[in-house]
Amino acid sequence: MSNSLWTDALYRLKKNKLAVLGAAFLAFEMVFFFLVPLIWHLGYEVQDLEMTFAAPSISYWFGTDSLGRDLFSRVIFGGRISLTVGILASLVSAIVGVVYGSIAGFLGGKSDNLMMRIVDILYALPFIFLVIILMVYFGRNFILLFVALGLTQWLTMARIVRGQVLSLRHKEFIEAANSLGIRQREVVLKHLIPNTLGPVIVYLTLTVPSVILEEAFLSYLGLGIQAPLASWGTLIKEGVDVMDLAPWTLFFPAFFLSATLFSLNFLGDGLRDALDPKGARD
Amino acid sequence: MKIVFLTVYFLTLFCSSLFASPQVLNLGNGTEPRDLDPHTVTGIPEFQITQNLFEGLVGKDPKTLEPTPGVAESWKISKDGKTYTFKLRENAKWTNGEPITASDFIYSWKRLLDPLTASEYAYQGYYIKGGKDFNQGKLKDASRLGLKSADPYTLEVTLENPTPYFLSLLYHHSLYPVHQATVEKHGMRWTRPENIVSNGPFSLKKWKMNQVITLEKNPSYWDACSVKLEKVNFYAVEKSETEEKMFLTKKLHATATVPTEKIAPWTKDTSGVLKRHPYLGTYYYWINVNRAPMNNPLVRKALALAIDREKLVKYVVKGGQAPAESFTPPGTGGFHPQSHLPKDSSRVAEAKKLLTQAGFPDGKGLQPIEILYNTSESHKKIAEAIQQMWSENLGVQATLYNQEWKVFLDTQHSKNYMVSRAGWIADYNDPNTFLDMLTTGNGNNHAGWSNPAYDLLIEKAAKELNPKKRHEIFQKAEDILLEELPVIPLYIYTRIYLLSPDVQGWFENVEDVHPLKYVWMK
Repeated sequence: MSNSLWTDALYRLKKNKLAVLGAAFLAFEMVFFFLVPLIWHLGYEVQDLEMTFAAPSISYWFGTDSLGRDLFSRVIFGGRISLTVGILASLVSAIVGVVYGSIAGFLGGKSDNLMMRIVDILYALPFIFLVIILMVYFGRNFILLFVALGLTQWLTMARIVRGQVLSLRHKEFIEAANSLGIRQREVVLKHLIPNTLGPVIVYLTLTVPSVILEEAFLSYLGLGIQAPLASWGTLIKEGVDVMDLAPWTLFFPAFFLSATLFSLNFLGDGLRDALDPKGARD
Repeated sequence: MKIVFLTVYFLTLFCSSLFASPQVLNLGNGTEPRDLDPHTVTGIPEFQITQNLFEGLVGKDPKTLEPTPGVAESWKISKDGKTYTFKLRENAKWTNGEPITASDFIYSWKRLLDPLTASEYAYQGYYIKGGKDFNQGKLKDASRLGLKSADPYTLEVTLENPTPYFLSLLYHHSLYPVHQATVEKHGMRWTRPENIVSNGPFSLKKWKMNQVITLEKNPSYWDACSVKLEKVNFYAVEKSETEEKMFLTKKLHATATVPTEKIAPWTKDTSGVLKRHPYLGTYYYWINVNRAPMNNPLVRKALALAIDREKLVKYVVKGGQAPAESFTPPGTGGFHPQSHLPKDSSRVAEAKKLLTQAGFPDGKGLQPIEILYNTSESHKKIAEAIQQMWSENLGVQATLYNQEWKVFLDTQHSKNYMVSRAGWIADYNDPNTFLDMLTTGNGNNHAGWSNPAYDLLIEKAAKELNPKKRHEIFQKAEDILLEELPVIPLYIYTRIYLLSPDVQGWFENVEDVHPLKYVWMK
C-alpha cells in the first residue's frame, strides 16, 4: 500500500534545509546524550571542592561549577532530563489530546458541546496551580512531573484535533466507510485519526520546547528536578547568577537549550509546510 | 492644645530642615517577613522591622550594645537582683496618641505567655516569676505573675532568678508592648498598615506583599527629634544576586547578604562598602529526633561526623566563617565551649563505625535522608555539598527540597521534616540564648528533642551567679548536645553585607543590631 501523502511530505521536508539541519541536530543530540555518559569519566554529581569554577580545559571540557562539578557531564545529563521531560510530556499531551479531541469531534452535538466546555474551563485554570497541587498532593516524583506537564498541554491539542475531525467527518471517504457498515470505532481509529496526524505532529514539535521551559520554571520553584540532578533550566539559572565570574556556566547550557529549541522550531515549521502544501506558502 | 500642636509642628520642621539630602533609607531585608506581630515572629527579617516599629522598656546603644532608656526612663534593681522597678516616661505614646502605661506591658507580657497566643518565644517570659507555670497552664491566675504596677508609670517586675542579662533581654521583640484594644479588635490582622498601633521611632506606612515594607518617622514618638530618617523601605529580595545589583544601581543602601561567589571579588574592592565582622550565630541542621531513622542517636552522630566542616567553610560558604565544633559560638558571653568530637582525620572512620553499629553498614538499608532548606542559592549549595559528603563518606543517600520562607517556618514548627537547615542568632550576649531553646517543649525546639538531664542543667545555670561555675554547667549541656545531636552545628556565622558610605550612625557589632533611630543619610 503506497501512501503518497507521506512520501510527498518527506520529499518536501528534505528540500527544506533548515528543517533537515534541525532534525539532524536533534538526532545527534539523542545519540550523543545517551552514549556519552557510558564512557565519560566524570559523573554529574561528583564534587571536587578544590576545583570550583575551573575554566574549560582538557580535563573539564566545559569547565566546572560552583561545587567543582564537571559541567560537560552536567549539560549532558541535564539534556537527557530536559529532552525526556519534553518528549514524554508531549506524548502524554498528544495521546490525551488526540483521543479526547477526536471523540468530541466525531460524536458532535451535545456531547461535543459538553466536552469542549470542559476544555474551556480547564483552559481558564492557570496551569501552574494545577501542577503545584499535583506535586504537593502526590509528592515530588520524577514521573509525575512528566505526567503533570503533559496534562496541562493536551487542551490545545484536543481543540486542533476536534477541528480537524469536524471538517473530515462529512468528507466522502468517511461517508463511504459509513455506508460500507464499518464500526464507528474503526472509522475513528483507521480513518479519522491518521488524517489528523499532520497538524498533531507539527503541534507536538512546538509543545516540546514549551514543556522544557515550563520544567525550568518549576525547578526554579523547587517543584521540578531536585539536586544534584539538574536540567538545562536549573543549570542556566545557576549560570546566570555567576555569569560575570564564570561565563561558561551560563554559556554551555544556554547554547544547548537554544540550539535544541531552534531545531525543534525549524523542524516543526518544515513539517507544517511539508504536510500542508496548500497553506502557509504564499 | 493649639500651642502644643504648633510646638510639635515646629519641632518637626526644625529636625528635618537640618539635612540637605533626602532622609530615605532603602534596605535589603532578605525575605518577606512572616508577620510583624512582635510576640509571634521568630526570624531576623521580622526583627529588623519590629525593632524599629516598636520600643520596649529599654533601647540598645548600637556601639556598646548596653541598654539605654526606652519607654522606661530609669530603673532600679533590688539588692537580690530579683526585682526590677521601671519608671516609665510620661511622654511615651502610642501612634494613636494614647499614653503607654505599665498596664500595657503587663497585658503584653501576659499575651506572650498565654498558651493561646502559642508564641514560639514564650520562654523569654519565663524569667518573670510564675511565667513558665502560666505558659504551661499550671498557673491559671494571671494576677499571680511577678508583674505589678503601683501607678500607671511604675512597673515592678519580679524575676524567678536573678538574671544579670535581663535588661538586655528587654530589647528582644518578644518583650515589646502591643496595644491591647487594637489586638483585640482586629485579631490576626492587627499588624496591617490600616490597623496597626505601635510605639517605636517609626510607624508602618505601607506593606506590599513580597515587595516592600515602608516605615515612616513617627512624629508622636517621645524622642522624635533625634530620629533623623524620614522614611525606611525594607525590600523583600530573596536573591542575593538581585540585591547586589540593586546596591550597585543605588536602589539599596544596605544588603542583607552578599552572594557567596562575589565575596572574593568584593574583598579586593577598596571603597570599603563590604562589611565583614563576627556575628553571634550558628548555622546548623535541625534533626527531627522522633522520625526514623533519625531517632537513632548513632545515625545522627555518624551523619554529623561525616561532614567536613573545614572544607564546607573554605570552598562552599567562602566568607571566612569558622567551622562549628559546638552549638554555642565561642566567646558568647565570655563562654568558650570545648568540643569532644574526634579530630578531623579520624572522623570519617568513626562515622562509618557508628553507622555499622546502628545496623546500616555503608548506608545499606538506610532510607534516603531528606534535607529541607528555605529557598536560597547558598543554602542549596551547602545542602548539595553535605549530600555529597554523606554519599561519599558513608554511602548514605540524601534528597533535597526547598520551601519559601513562610511555608518553611510552618514545616519546621509542625516538625514535618527529617533534617532542616536553620540558623540561630543570639538574642542577647549570653550562652543561655543558644542553649535554653533546646529544653523540653521549648517553642523554638523544632527537633522535638527532650532530655531531663539537659533541662536540669539549664535550670541550674539560670540560678547560678558565679560566671565560672555557670560556664561549667553550660559546658556539660554542650557535651550532652554533641553526644545526642538534635542539632548538627555546621559553621559560626560571619556577618557579610554591603553598606553604602552615605549611611551614617550605623555601627558594626556582634549582634548585628542597628536601631534606625540613630541612623541618618549623609
